[in-house]
Formats: sequence, structure tokens, C-alpha cells
Amino acid sequence: MNVSPADWQALWVSVRLALISTGLLLVICTPLAWWLARRRRPGQALLESVLALPLVLPPTVLGFYLLLWLGPDGPGGLLARLWGGHSLAFTFTGLVIGSVIYSLPFVLQPLKNAFAAIDRDTLDMAATLGAPPWDRFRNVVMPLARPGYLSAAVLGFAHTLGEFGVVLMIGGSLAGETRVASVALYEHVEVGDYARAHHLALVLVVLSVAMLWGLFRWQRRPGALP
Amino acid sequence: MSLQVDLALERGDFRLSVNGALPERGVTILFGVSGAGKSSLLKAIAGLQPCRGLIRFDDRVWQDEHQALPAHRRPVGLMLQRPTLFPHLDVAGNLRFAARRSGATDGRWREVVALTELQPLMERGVAGLSGGEAQRVALARALLTEPDLLMLDEPLSALDAERRQALMAVIARVGERLPVLYVTHQLDEVMTLGDHLWWLDRGGLREQGPLAECLAGLHGPLAAGGQAAVVLRTRHRGYDERHHLLELTLGDAVLRLPAAGPRGDTPRLKVAARDVSLALSPVRDSSVLNILPATVDALRDLGHGQCLVRLRCADQWLLARVSTLSRDRLGLRPGLALHAQIKAAALV
Repeated sequence: MNVSPADWQALWVSVRLALISTGLLLVICTPLAWWLARRRRPGQALLESVLALPLVLPPTVLGFYLLLWLGPDGPGGLLARLWGGHSLAFTFTGLVIGSVIYSLPFVLQPLKNAFAAIDRDTLDMAATLGAPPWDRFRNVVMPLARPGYLSAAVLGFAHTLGEFGVVLMIGGSLAGETRVASVALYEHVEVGDYARAHHLALVLVVLSVAMLWGLFRWQRRPGALP
Repeated sequence: MSLQVDLALERGDFRLSVNGALPERGVTILFGVSGAGKSSLLKAIAGLQPCRGLIRFDDRVWQDEHQALPAHRRPVGLMLQRPTLFPHLDVAGNLRFAARRSGATDGRWREVVALTELQPLMERGVAGLSGGEAQRVALARALLTEPDLLMLDEPLSALDAERRQALMAVIARVGERLPVLYVTHQLDEVMTLGDHLWWLDRGGLREQGPLAECLAGLHGPLAAGGQAAVVLRTRHRGYDERHHLLELTLGDAVLRLPAAGPRGDTPRLKVAARDVSLALSPVRDSSVLNILPATVDALRDLGHGQCLVRLRCADQWLLARVSTLSRDRLGLRPGLALHAQIKAAALV
């Protein structure tokens, strides 16, 4: 296989970005999904629509707004100044922020469904057995939502790995910093280097198939929870 | 008194307002038609359903106008109609969930496991358990919380007769140590397990007290449903091998009852009002075995030519359903001494 060191580097940036974004998303979406799943509240439909926006918005539109927000004149720029930068656009941190927003519905939805499926009586029972709220969440809700967590993690990871439009707008293509595999692939095609494009594409295909295969296999495992 | 409640809650159009007290120990049957609010009351006491008012247990306040103890801090063991076991844990894991949080000792663990006969099931997953097995796990789990109060919401309704009998015996033993609040509308469970009764009707406690007293009321819960019956507490006297009759004493009188063999020391008898007839003089030439001297206490016209008569008999209550014609012919009135013929009675 002919994958250049530069391409491996791009793959590593992709994987790192996907790992960090997925980790952050699981942390952010756990309370958010719990809050959304347990009961209907006023304004919830509006909030859920906004959170689901990345599903329907063209990635370049999202990328464009993010570019403005992360740039020197946006809130991201102000934030960057705290540690001596002047912008979050075209930085790895900026990419992480963009990915978190872009992939949020893919993590939020499975978690929300998993939480909503947990029986109210089971949680009430845990309470009468002496478990305070956090204990109930940690030892009843999270184990019961395990399939939801796995789906959320795989979908979040895969979706971030495949991200292109948003990265192009806010990341540019700085080697080792913001050049992710999908952008590297695009650049190979742009200069007519189809051989390298093929190899990089194949690595991405294999990686994605392997992840999904692992997910489905795990979900069908005899001991897996419904 | 152990538990004392004076609470109110509303849910939509439904209003529940209950003022009641549970005795120190024994099984109190919470009786009422479906929709009477039995489950809501249990959940309110457990702290799972917000309500207003006062809930206290002995001298500890679980809820008053200033504060409400959260569910996980109330020493309540709860068991629902569905077992609601944790599907991600095996049987032992479900029990440990309770035992770890209550700090139940190993001795207590062994005692509860032995009582519920769960030892052979310990390593099993909960998905493969039968209904009876799952309810035994649920009961054991509730007991391992070391509760001050055990509340059971129709725990046997999904089980077959044999398993119900077995679990009722376990619950009765638990009731010897703890106050138990037990929701059911199954007559056999009421008669077998009940020491006391809370009758929930139209959003309030219409009656509460010792079971035998409540059932013998002319306006009691069973009389309202047309199935008036009483429970008699008797003492075992002997067993007549030749005639296969169990002999029981009720005061000075002896009752004889067909039975396969001797039963405990203090058997309970269920006697339906329709199985009791009345005679002014002692009948000698009847096939009815059990004829007891009794005194009329009160009468109630049920309509349709039927009349319910409450009788005092060896310090216990008996109900008889007779026609209004018989009432008039015999001249039944409070204070009249007569003889009650018990045509059928069932051991419960």
C-alpha cells in the first residue's frame, strides 16, 4: 500500500479530531439527552430543532458561520486572545469546536432514545432501594443505555472522520494541524494524483466498515441488552 | 402506630385525600376498586409521587409542610405488580444492589435468601426467570433494604394459585416483624393475609381497622360488592380421622369442617353471609354440622327482598344474608338471641 507519511499524518489528524470530538460530545450530550428525554418542557421543540440543524444544513453554510464566529472578530477570536492567539479559525481547536457542533445530533439522538426507553418504574425502584440520583444514573441508567452509548460513539466518530465541508471552511489545510484525511484526499484529486487518492480512500473505507461491523456485531451478540 | 399519613394529592380530575395510621406490625390490606388511587397512595408514601400533607413513621417525619425526604432516604421496601428487576444484573446483582446501599449484614442476606428460597437462582439472569421467581427476587430485594415499612402493590396478581399460596406464606411471615401495606382486590389474599384493612373509596379512606371488624360491617367493602363475608379466628382442637373432620373451637362452641388433615394452631375461617342461615331454636335434626348460638346486633335492608344481619357470636362477628320475609317471620331485631347455622366455611 502506497500511503505517504503526509497522508498518514492527515489520517492521524482525522482520527485524533474524531476521538477528541466524540469524547467531548459524549460528555456534553449525556446531561443534554437526559434532560430532553425525561419530560416535555416548554421550548423543547425549538431547542431540539436548533440542535438537529447540522443534520439538514449544508456543511459549507455551517462552516461559513463558524468561520465568522471563530475568526478574529467573533467570540472565538476573543477567546483565543486569552492565550495570546488572535483567532480559532485554521487551528485544531477550531476544528474540534466545529466538529462538536457538526456531529452533535449524531451523538445526541441515540443517547436520547436510549434514555427515553428506560422504564420509569425501574428508576423508581432504584430510588426505593436507597440509590440517590447520581447513583441511579451511574448504576442503572448508564448500564441500561450502553447500546445507545456505543451507537452514539461510533456514529459521532464516523461522522467526524468523514467531515469535509466544515473543515474546508474553518480549517484550511495546514499539515499536521488542520489537514484531515478527507481534505488530503480532495487535494490529491485536485492535482490529478488518483493513485494516492485511491489508497487514502481505501484506508478510510476499511476504517469505516470495520467500525460499523464492530458495532453491528456487538449489537447482535447473544448477551447484548435490547 | 407506625406509619401515620394525612396527605392529599391531585392528578387531573382525580383527588386523593387520606388520613390513616398503620399498626406496629401485621399486614394491612389496602382495598379498593381499580382507579381508587391505591397505587398513587403507595407511591406518595414511598416519596415517588409528590403530595401535600404529613407522613411520619414512629417519631420520624418523612414529609411535612416544610420538607420531604427523597425516596432514596425513606426506609421503605416496595414491590410492584411487575417485578421491575434490573435487566443488566443477575439475581445476585439485583439483591446486592439493595444490600450494599442498606448495609445489610451477611447474616441478614442469608436469612432473606433462605426465606425466599433463592439460593438455586443466584447466578441466573433475570430475563429467564418465571413470574413467581421474579417476584421472589423482587421481595428479597425489597427486604434487603432493611425497610421499616414494606409496601406491596398487587404482587401476586400475575401468578398461578400454587405460587400465590407459597408467596403469601412468606409475606405473612414478614408481616410478623414489620408493618406491611398490601394492595389487592383478591378476596383470598384479603382473608389469608390481612390483619387490618384500609378501605380506599372515592379518593379517601372510608374505613380502617382490624380486618374482622371491617369485614363484619353492614356497610363494609365486601357488603358493598354483594359478597359479604367474615373471617373467624378459631383454635385448633383436634382432627376426627374417622369422618375426616377438622375440629376447631370458637369460644365455647366447636366447629367441624371437612379437611384433608390438621392445619396450624389458629386457623382462619372465611364464612360468606349467604352460607349462614338463622333459626330461633337449636335445630337437632339438621345435616348442618355447625350451629352456633348468636345474638342479633344489627340489620340492613339490601333491597330486592334481601337483608344482611350482623350477629355477635363468641366475641366475634358473623354476617347472615336472609330474605326480608324470613326477617319478618322470625321477628329479627337487635338483641334477639338465636342460632346461626353455618352451611359452608373455608379455611384460608
